[in-house]
Amino acid sequence: MSAIEFIFAPLVLALVLSLVTRGNNSLSKYISLILFAFMLSFSINLFSQLPSKGYLDLGSFLAVKKFDFILTLQVDQLSVVMLVLTSSLLILVALSSWSMKNQAMYFNLLIAFSGAIFGVFMSTNFLWFFIFWELTLVPMYFLVGIWGAERRVYAAVKFFLYTHVASMFIILAFFLIHKESGTFDMTLVKESLLLSPVLIWWLLFIGFAVKLPIFPFHTWLPDAHVQAPAPISVLLAGVLLKMGAYAMIRMVILLLPETSQQYAWIILALGLITLFYSGFMAIYETHLKKMVAYSSISHMGLVVIAISTMSYAGLSAAVYEMLGHAFIIAPLFLIAGFLHHKTGSWQMQDMGGIMQKAPYISAIFVLAGLGALGLPGTMGFVGELSILISAIKADGVWMAVVALGSMVGAGYIIWMFRRVVYGEMSEIVQKTKFSMNPMEFLSLIIFAIAIVLFGLFPNILFDIINPIFVQYTFLGGAL
Amino acid sequence: MQNLALTLLLLPMFGAVIAFILGKINSKLAFWIAEIIGLALFLITLKLFMGFNEPIDIPMTWFTLGNFTIPFGIYIDELSLVMLLIATGLGFLDIHFAHDYMKKDPSQARYYAKVLFFIGGMILLVSAKDMISLFTGWEFMGLASYLLISFWHESKEPADAGMSAFLFTRFGDIFLFGAIGLLFYTSGSLDLVNLNTMATSGMIDKDMIYIISIFIFIAAIGKSGQFPLFPWLMRAMEGPTTVSALIHGATMVNSGIYIVARLFDFYVAGEALIIVAVFGAISAFIGATSALVQNELKKVLAYSTMSHLSLAFIGLGAGSLAAGMSHLVNHAVFKALLFLSAGAIIMSASHVKDLWRFGGFSKKMIGVAIFMGLGALSLSGIPPFSGFYSKDAIIATTLLNPQTNGLISTLTIIAGVLSVAYISRVWFLTFAGESRDKELFEKVKTPSFFWITLPLAIMAITTLTLGFFQDDIAKLVSGKVYEEPHVEYVLVSLLSAIVFVAFIIYMYYVKRLDITKKVASQPLMKAIHKVLFNGYYVEFFIHYFSREVVVGAGAKTINWIDTNLVDASVNGVKTLTQKIYRLFGKTHSGYAGDNSGAMIIGLLILLVILISGGAM
Amino acid sequence: MISAFSILFLVALLSISLHRSIWLKPTALLALLVSAYFTFNGASVILTGFASNESIRLFELILEVVLFALVLHIEEDITITQTLFVGAASILLLQSVNILSFVISFEALSIISIVLVSYIQTKEQAEGAVKMFIAAALATGILFLGLMFYVIGGGDLLSAVESKNIFEVIGLSIMLAGVFYKLTIVPFHGWAADSYALVRHSHAAILTGIAKTVVALASFKIFAPFIMANIELYVPLLATLAVVTITLGNFLALFQKSIAKILSYSSIAHAGYMLLAFMAVKSEYAKDGILYMSIAYIFMQSAAFLVLDILRKNYNISTLEELKGFASQNRIVAFFFTIQLFSLAGIPLLAGFLGKAVVFYAGVDAGLWYVVLIALLNSALSVGYYAWIVKGIYFDAFSSKKIYIKIALPIFAQLILFVGTVYFGIFASTVFIG
Repeated sequence: MSAIEFIFAPLVLALVLSLVTRGNNSLSKYISLILFAFMLSFSINLFSQLPSKGYLDLGSFLAVKKFDFILTLQVDQLSVVMLVLTSSLLILVALSSWSMKNQAMYFNLLIAFSGAIFGVFMSTNFLWFFIFWELTLVPMYFLVGIWGAERRVYAAVKFFLYTHVASMFIILAFFLIHKESGTFDMTLVKESLLLSPVLIWWLLFIGFAVKLPIFPFHTWLPDAHVQAPAPISVLLAGVLLKMGAYAMIRMVILLLPETSQQYAWIILALGLITLFYSGFMAIYETHLKKMVAYSSISHMGLVVIAISTMSYAGLSAAVYEMLGHAFIIAPLFLIAGFLHHKTGSWQMQDMGGIMQKAPYISAIFVLAGLGALGLPGTMGFVGELSILISAIKADGVWMAVVALGSMVGAGYIIWMFRRVVYGEMSEIVQKTKFSMNPMEFLSLIIFAIAIVLFGLFPNILFDIINPIFVQYTFLGGAL
Repeated sequence: MQNLALTLLLLPMFGAVIAFILGKINSKLAFWIAEIIGLALFLITLKLFMGFNEPIDIPMTWFTLGNFTIPFGIYIDELSLVMLLIATGLGFLDIHFAHDYMKKDPSQARYYAKVLFFIGGMILLVSAKDMISLFTGWEFMGLASYLLISFWHESKEPADAGMSAFLFTRFGDIFLFGAIGLLFYTSGSLDLVNLNTMATSGMIDKDMIYIISIFIFIAAIGKSGQFPLFPWLMRAMEGPTTVSALIHGATMVNSGIYIVARLFDFYVAGEALIIVAVFGAISAFIGATSALVQNELKKVLAYSTMSHLSLAFIGLGAGSLAAGMSHLVNHAVFKALLFLSAGAIIMSASHVKDLWRFGGFSKKMIGVAIFMGLGALSLSGIPPFSGFYSKDAIIATTLLNPQTNGLISTLTIIAGVLSVAYISRVWFLTFAGESRDKELFEKVKTPSFFWITLPLAIMAITTLTLGFFQDDIAKLVSGKVYEEPHVEYVLVSLLSAIVFVAFIIYMYYVKRLDITKKVASQPLMKAIHKVLFNGYYVEFFIHYFSREVVVGAGAKTINWIDTNLVDASVNGVKTLTQKIYRLFGKTHSGYAGDNSGAMIIGLLILLVILISGGAM
Repeated sequence: MISAFSILFLVALLSISLHRSIWLKPTALLALLVSAYFTFNGASVILTGFASNESIRLFELILEVVLFALVLHIEEDITITQTLFVGAASILLLQSVNILSFVISFEALSIISIVLVSYIQTKEQAEGAVKMFIAAALATGILFLGLMFYVIGGGDLLSAVESKNIFEVIGLSIMLAGVFYKLTIVPFHGWAADSYALVRHSHAAILTGIAKTVVALASFKIFAPFIMANIELYVPLLATLAVVTITLGNFLALFQKSIAKILSYSSIAHAGYMLLAFMAVKSEYAKDGILYMSIAYIFMQSAAFLVLDILRKNYNISTLEELKGFASQNRIVAFFFTIQLFSLAGIPLLAGFLGKAVVFYAGVDAGLWYVVLIALLNSALSVGYYAWIVKGIYFDAFSSKKIYIKIALPIFAQLILFVGTVYFGIFASTVFIG
């Protein structure tokens, strides 16, 4: 299969499947797993074909010359890393949704999502990028709105509207870029071609900041994360947020380096605020999944700090942390969702002593939590260390405050362990049976292995990540 | 040698995994695996020690971050070897001891896996070449400590204690983490040996050295249970006593001192040693005084650990690497001995820890009584036990150093003298006199010789013999022939004070319990007792601060801002649109006449605009 | 001469005799197919004052396809005939090149629209029809007033518009106001908000889906040179009108209870988007924009109102409350409805997105990015009510009892419109011909 088929085949497949399947038909489930496996092998295969510098051309389609509306598919290392992350997460998400109710439609939407997200990471035409960017919202809207928890409608509509409003800024920026440089091809646009780079920078920054999310544009996320079914929270945190970071790197930092350099302090300041603000939100939170959601935002704050350094090391660290965040936050969401499913409560004080009832699940929970607070041996530590080092190198001594972020992290994670995992069993826990579908447990195990494996041997990832940014030279950065 | 060193590092980690898996099949297997691996580790260390001629240096790269290289190296010199001997030797004895102590526990697999993991962390810490591997070992131990303290996680106190331990030490750790970043920024090197050289040769900015030293020292404070981050150490006593012996008496708490010793030249260059001495002196005083009034056997030992580690810090802070480190070595041995003795007592006494319910135990376990007594003598600083030499050296150093001569040396001497008081109090209350709780006394069993008393005996002998090798230890740890300052008149006055205090304690607690009650019921004494008993309310203040200020004020404010400003403004858009909707709704009456009127008015406005707009 | 117009006109006349026979619908469909064939082959109206070009032909073709779907859907005989008349008049209007032919065909379309809605059976339909009639009468008056001024100024009715003197400018401006009635630009929108929701939904589909787009396209062709000539005057004016129309339409749609009402206001808002193309006439993309917008709009708006017709007729659903859980009632209709709503909302891979995108781009290209920003934010706001309808369909629990109804032809009509919406959402090269 060629690249374009990986975008449109899932969309068509989802349409066809939605005609032939309904209710709890598990056909879509197996098909989605096969499809995602294909996608993974395709993405991994792309690595071997990548040129050492620049883009690998995967073809242009549906050209409208006059409007420069051409579906150009090109990938570089960054996109391929994102593709591999996305497809592997999709497999794990499919596994962890194994016992979802009304699953035919669920998996159909997941399949549709996979096509859209591949489009996001493969298209280098701004308009098509935007099309796929927006298209990812639609399956998410339904996935949150139909399979979500009590306040799912509020969360789904808020998520849809909020991110859609942000997208309006993005497309306006794209229009301005086309007007000023005459092309929608992001590989051809240079900052020097633009007449109003500052305006474009702000529009793009605000647009992507919502997706990331950066304070004060984060409020859609706790609601969406909490109300979404657990596997979809994984997808939100692991893929949708990464889309924001990917776009921020590619279309703000690399596209507009001079303006970004000028406003790097704003990105940095907002990153720091995001890190601590959501950290404190997480400390105060008594709602288990909401706490995990804030922890997720807090980690994205770290990514933003790393991005703001605009240095070779900083951007590599940002990509690593993006991957680390995806693997660490996923089991936290899955288990939080699982506990809610079993106990019927979101509140931490209703839980306690889960370790006695479900030791292995709790162990994975603890492992992922330790990853989130940045314990050596997990991906979290490598990410935090890289970001700390690159931030201090780029912005000076006072960036040591980044280290404090992991203290806040330790605060809420360890307190959460105390309230949920350890201690005496609560009444609810005592009468609950914690049995998990083996497929769902398998996905947890894979996440746990990834956290430790890539945490102990980060070079496996850095060998792939480092070459991404070799080709870029930065103005004032460390390179 | 290199392979041996790598084996030393990896063996406990693999052992932990194997012990856990096999232990799930049969918990006896877990013990034996741990025992064998513990012994193997000790033997390997011994071999390394015997065959030592030059430091083992294994530089390795962990990962490449952009254009930076993050190292992960191994470096084993004499200092490391001394620490390794402590960790593996005491670790082995501790595992051996646990055979009986943990006999009835259902989750032995978990226990031994965690202990092996802990030993692995300690080995990594002391054989670290650079800040990264050091921090990794440091955090591994922190994690192991957390997991072991809350080993009996199904009840409230251990779970609380584990959380407390993790958070207190983590607070320190992040400063170490920050120090890594700062070092990378200022010196570009994370190599510990290199850092000392660079600092001494003035290649690093002096102010930065000072700041980084403080950062590292905060981490050391956290890990070694010094003022003001000590309360976790007292709570950690909720864990199994074997764990307290290994982690919170003999090994992990030493890592704070180790890191200052490792970067001693760095501290000298940064002129940060005085800070170390000051905090050491405060902690020594708090620890010694609070230990006097504790009711729980293990809590006394915990405060005494705090106080004695402070003495080591004071030794370092006063400028004597040898004095501080020898005290660390000596303390590790006798404190492990004391803790394991306490373990033996507690185990025999059906897990009762309250000193006031003991008494007369020497009748049931004379071996334990003797060996614990030897440990107590060493702790008190009675010659020729090892404790005497190092304590004496520390006091002498503080007196000779003009910076520390004065308040610090006074506090040090007080702490030194008080140690005799609290440890003899423990010993007398436990072993001497008549039983105060007959019922408990009846149930007290005599511990087994091979599993319980033998390790104690080995340690007791070690603490005695170590006293004769003080100069060698000093040479080993400081890397040069060291002239220990000994101050004879101090020795004499100290000894007399010790004997005097021991006598008072004996009278006070054993012979005249009625006086005890009378004195204790005085209001002033009561107040002092309360302050001491609660560890000078440091924990209370910290809890108050974190609960009321950080969570209650800080997090609550941010939460308020988020709900009422940030999110409210988002949700406010809905209210706003509703208002606009109603406003706009007024434009539409639904009458055909109004529609037509609007059209005509619109047309007129259009015309007015056209004409006034100068349509030519 | 045989052309799409003549076929449609003749068959429309003929079809009156076929009323109450089963041959009416097949004949009408056949006529549309044949006319589509002729359109495809380039046959045009051979009359002075009318001409065709590539983009007009494309739109005629699409118009015939949409009419085909409409005829498939419609059940009343009289409406089928009128639909054919609407088609014929639309082709005339699209091909008009001078003021006279424009005014004549505009009035023809207007009259047929009024005839269409005067098929009254209920009180609501009467109200809608009367409101529309009054407004139309007024608009005709305005149009002729403008025409008068234009003639006084010495304008030649048989040539393209010119604006040499103040009378001509005022005359053309007044005529534009008359046209804005049909386009439902604020403040000429009052009738639309009521009539679209009150008259039969199939009629509303023709009124908003077909008549509006045709008028927009044709008036753009006629008036673009005029606006271009008076650009300093007209850009602020049109920008204000567009912003007011978009904002008013979107906000009033937000909290309506009746689905038809929501769609009426959304139709008004869309007129505002179309007006952006008039405003951005300076840009070479303006004419692509209005064409693309019209194509997208004709598919999605007709389809949406036809769905409303299905809902009201078969399931007796007309408010959001009654729509709850409709997906479990009939998931095919729910799916088509959702797609068209998303297209209206401007979700990508659907025609509505590209239509808006090209118009907005034209605005940016004309240097009016701040006006476009307002429009974009409005468009995002509009997602609020479209998503709310979708929320009702899918997220809410299904409460009423399930009705099994076979609806074949309307579904087929929906399928045609669905394909159109998706096709023009992906294959934009079909539209960018010139």
